[in-house]
Amino acid sequence: MSKSILIVDDSESIRELVGSTLEEAGYTVTRGVNGKDGLECLQQMDENVKLIITDLNMPVMDGIELVKEVRKHKNFKYLPILILTTETQVTKKREAKAEGATGWIVKPFEKERLLSVVKKVIR
Amino acid sequence: MERLQQVFKEESDDLLQNLEQSLLSLEKNPDDENRIAEIFRAMHTLKGNSSMFGFSKIADFVHNLETLYSHIRDKNLKATSSIIDCTFQVLDLLKVLVEDPIVTDENNLRSLADLSVRILTFLENVDGSETSQETVKSTNVVEDSSPSAVDAKATTKTFYISFIPSEEIFEDGTNPLFLIEELTEMGKSKVFTYIKPFEIITDYNVEKCYTSWEILLATESSLNEIKDVFLFVEDTAEINIEELSGGNLIANADFINAINYTGYSGEKQTAEKLKEIIDSMDIKEITSQVKEKQAAMAQQIPDKDGAPPTAPAATKEKTISSVRVGSDKLDDLMNLVSELVTTQAGLSLYAEHNHTTALESITENVEKLSRQLRDIAFSMTLIPINNLFGRFQRMIRDVSANLNKSVEFITQGGETELDKTIIEYLTDPLLHLLRNSLDHGIESPEERKRLGKPPKGTITLKAYYSGVNVFIQIEDDGKGIDANVIKASAIKKGMITPETELTEREIYDLIFSAGFSTAKEVTDVSGRGVGMDVVKRNIADIRGEITVDSKVNIGTKITLKLPLTLSITDGLLVQISDTYYLIPLSVVSKCHEVTKKSLADELNKIVVLDGDQIPFLDLRKEFRVKDEAPEFFQLIVVENEGRRVGLTVDSIVGEYQAVLKPLGKYYRHQDFISGGTILGDGTIALVMDTSKIINKFSQVNKEELV
Repeated sequence: MSKSILIVDDSESIRELVGSTLEEAGYTVTRGVNGKDGLECLQQMDENVKLIITDLNMPVMDGIELVKEVRKHKNFKYLPILILTTETQVTKKREAKAEGATGWIVKPFEKERLLSVVKKVIR
Repeated sequence: MERLQQVFKEESDDLLQNLEQSLLSLEKNPDDENRIAEIFRAMHTLKGNSSMFGFSKIADFVHNLETLYSHIRDKNLKATSSIIDCTFQVLDLLKVLVEDPIVTDENNLRSLADLSVRILTFLENVDGSETSQETVKSTNVVEDSSPSAVDAKATTKTFYISFIPSEEIFEDGTNPLFLIEELTEMGKSKVFTYIKPFEIITDYNVEKCYTSWEILLATESSLNEIKDVFLFVEDTAEINIEELSGGNLIANADFINAINYTGYSGEKQTAEKLKEIIDSMDIKEITSQVKEKQAAMAQQIPDKDGAPPTAPAATKEKTISSVRVGSDKLDDLMNLVSELVTTQAGLSLYAEHNHTTALESITENVEKLSRQLRDIAFSMTLIPINNLFGRFQRMIRDVSANLNKSVEFITQGGETELDKTIIEYLTDPLLHLLRNSLDHGIESPEERKRLGKPPKGTITLKAYYSGVNVFIQIEDDGKGIDANVIKASAIKKGMITPETELTEREIYDLIFSAGFSTAKEVTDVSGRGVGMDVVKRNIADIRGEITVDSKVNIGTKITLKLPLTLSITDGLLVQISDTYYLIPLSVVSKCHEVTKKSLADELNKIVVLDGDQIPFLDLRKEFRVKDEAPEFFQLIVVENEGRRVGLTVDSIVGEYQAVLKPLGKYYRHQDFISGGTILGDGTIALVMDTSKIINKFSQVNKEELV
C-alpha cells in the first residue's frame, strides 16, 4: 500500500501541481478544496493517510482552522500536517505551528523541495 | 505538465472573470472594503499560481498590482478611476497572457512593460518609504527561507548535535526519529540515545516524548543544512549544534573508543567533554568553533509585528467551491443515465407483465434510484446563468463608453440555472441583443433629456423560471421599435405586400427574417453581419422561442423562452394510428375529447371549446394516415408563441419522461419531428416539434383557403 496524502488547497492549479508531483513520487493523493472539504475527505480516507498538506488562505474554512479541527480528532492527533505558505506569511506560519502544524513549505517551491519536506515528516 | 498548464489556464480564466466582477462593483462603489479584499485575494492567488508554474513575468507583474491593492486595502491610497481603468487593462492583458504565459509575443511584452510602468507610477505616489521597506523585508525573508550556500564547502566536517525534544513534540505530528534518520543520511554518524529515567512506571505517559539524542555527524553538508533538518522543531526542541573538527572524527578509531557511552540512562557526552577528548588526543584539525544556540536561530525569524499580514483575518467568502469535471465526462454521464432511464422503463414494463412480488419491489427500487440518479446527474449539468451575465457587464461598460451613452445595466435572477449547453448557445445571441439595445435602443443623453427621460438609460437583463421553462428578458427604456417603420421597410424590401394584414407580433417577427435591418447606418457595435435571423435560429436550435414587445419612446422588451435542458424532457405520449408521438408537456395547455363527427362538421377548421375559438389541425390528415379513424379523438391544445392550436390524436397514453435522441439522416429532410425517444418496450416514439408543425400546416391551410 502506498502512503496516502491529503492535499487541501482552494486553488486547483496548486492542488494539481502538488498532487501530481506526489503521485509521480508514488504517493496516493486525495484532494480537498477547503478546510471543511478536507476534513470530510479525511474522514473517508483509510488509516493509510500519512500526511496532510494544506494551504492557509481558503474560503469556508482556512488552513489554521483545519489544523485545529484535525488535532481535536483522536485518530489524527499525531498526523503530520504541512502548511503551504508564502514568504510574507510569517505570522500565519507561527500561528499554524502553535495550533499543531508539523511544518511548512514556502511557495514558490521546486518539486525537489516539496518531496524532501514531505520525506522529512513521513519518511 | 500539459494537463497541469490546462488547469492553470482554466483556473486563471475563472480568477480573471471573478476579478472583473469585483472590479466592476468596485467601480460603482470605490470604498467597498469587501470588494477590495476580494480583488486582493484573487491577485494573490494568481500571483502564487503563476510563480508556482514558473511564469515569473506574470507573477512579478501581478505582484506590483497586488502591492498597489494592498495600499488601497490599507487605505494609503484611494481606488481612483484611473487605477481601476488601468486594472481593467491589466485584466485584458492577463486574459491574453494566460495563453502566452512565458510572454514570447512582442506585443504582449510591450503592453506588459507599459502597464508595469503605469502601476509603478501609481505606487510611487504612495508613501515611498513604506514601499521600499516592504521590498527589503521580503527579500530578507526569501534569503532566510532557502538554505544559503555561503558557508558550504565541499569538505567533511564533524558536528556535535544535541537534540532534546520537548515532551509535547508528538502533538504537532512530528516524529523525532525521522529527524535522526534524516541526519544520519547526511554522512557518517554515531547516535547516542538517552531516556529520562522513571522511578514509577505509572509516571510514564505514552503520549509524551522522554527520549533525547546526541549525534556525531561527519558530513559535507553545511551548518545551515543541518539546521534545516530541525526547521520545524526549533520551537519544540532544544537543539545545540557545534562544529567539533574540520575532518572526519568518526573515522578516527581512537576518538570513538575514547567516548564513554554507558547506555540510554547514562551520562551525556556533551560538546565540552568531546572537545576535551579531542584536545587530549591532539587532533590537529580543529577549526574555529561555531556555536549555534537555539536562541540564535530563533532570531532569524522576523518579529511577529514586523511581518506584514498578507490577508485580512479570514473574511467569510461567499464563493461556493467546487470540483471541476471535464464537460465530456458530464456528457458521458448524462448519456449513461439516459440509457439507464430507458433500460429501467423496459424493466418496469417487464415487471408489469410478469407478476412476482420480489421483482415488483426490485423494479420499484430501481425506478426510484434511477430517478434520483437522473435528477442528480441532470442538476450537475446545470450552471447558474450568472457566469454569462458577468461577461456582459464588461461589454456594456466598454460599449456604452464607446458610444458616449450612459447606461445602467441591471441583472436579475443570475442564480437561475440552465443546462450548460444552452448557456453556451446563448452567449452570442444575448450579446447581439444587448448590443442592439445599446446601439439602437438607448438614446444619447441629450436626446433623452429632450424627451424628458433620465439621462442615464437602463438595460435590465433578467432570468426566471416558469414551469419547465426558463425565461430571459432584455428590457431597455430606449426609443422602442416603431411597428409602422418595420412594416414600411418590409414592404420596401418586398417581404410583404402593403395589403398583408399582420398583427403587431407578426410585424415584430419580421425583424427576425433574413436580410432585415432597419438601422440607417451600420455601426461597428451592432451590425457585424450577424443579423437577428441568426439570433432567432440560434435560439430555435436550443428549442427556444423569442418574442419582442415594444412601445415607441418607452422601450423594448425581448423575451427568450428556453427549455431547462436539451436531453431529457417531460412529454405527453399520444398515439395516432399505430405510431407513438410525444408532445412536450411545456406546450400542452389542455386536452379535450371530441367526436369525429363534431370535427367534421366544423367550418374553417375552428372548434369552439370552453367558449374559445381554437383552430385545429387534423394530424391524421396532415400525416396522411390512411387507416380508419376512431369515433373519438383527443384534441390537444398547445400554446406556441402566444398562439393556441388544437392537434387531434387518436388517444393519450400518458405522461412520459423522454430521453431525447436525434433522428438518423433518413429523417433529416422533414421538420415537424425534433427527435425520437425509446419507450420501455423498445418501441420508438417521435417527438413533435409543435412550433414547426403549426407553422408548416397553418401555412398550407392558408394557401388552401386562398
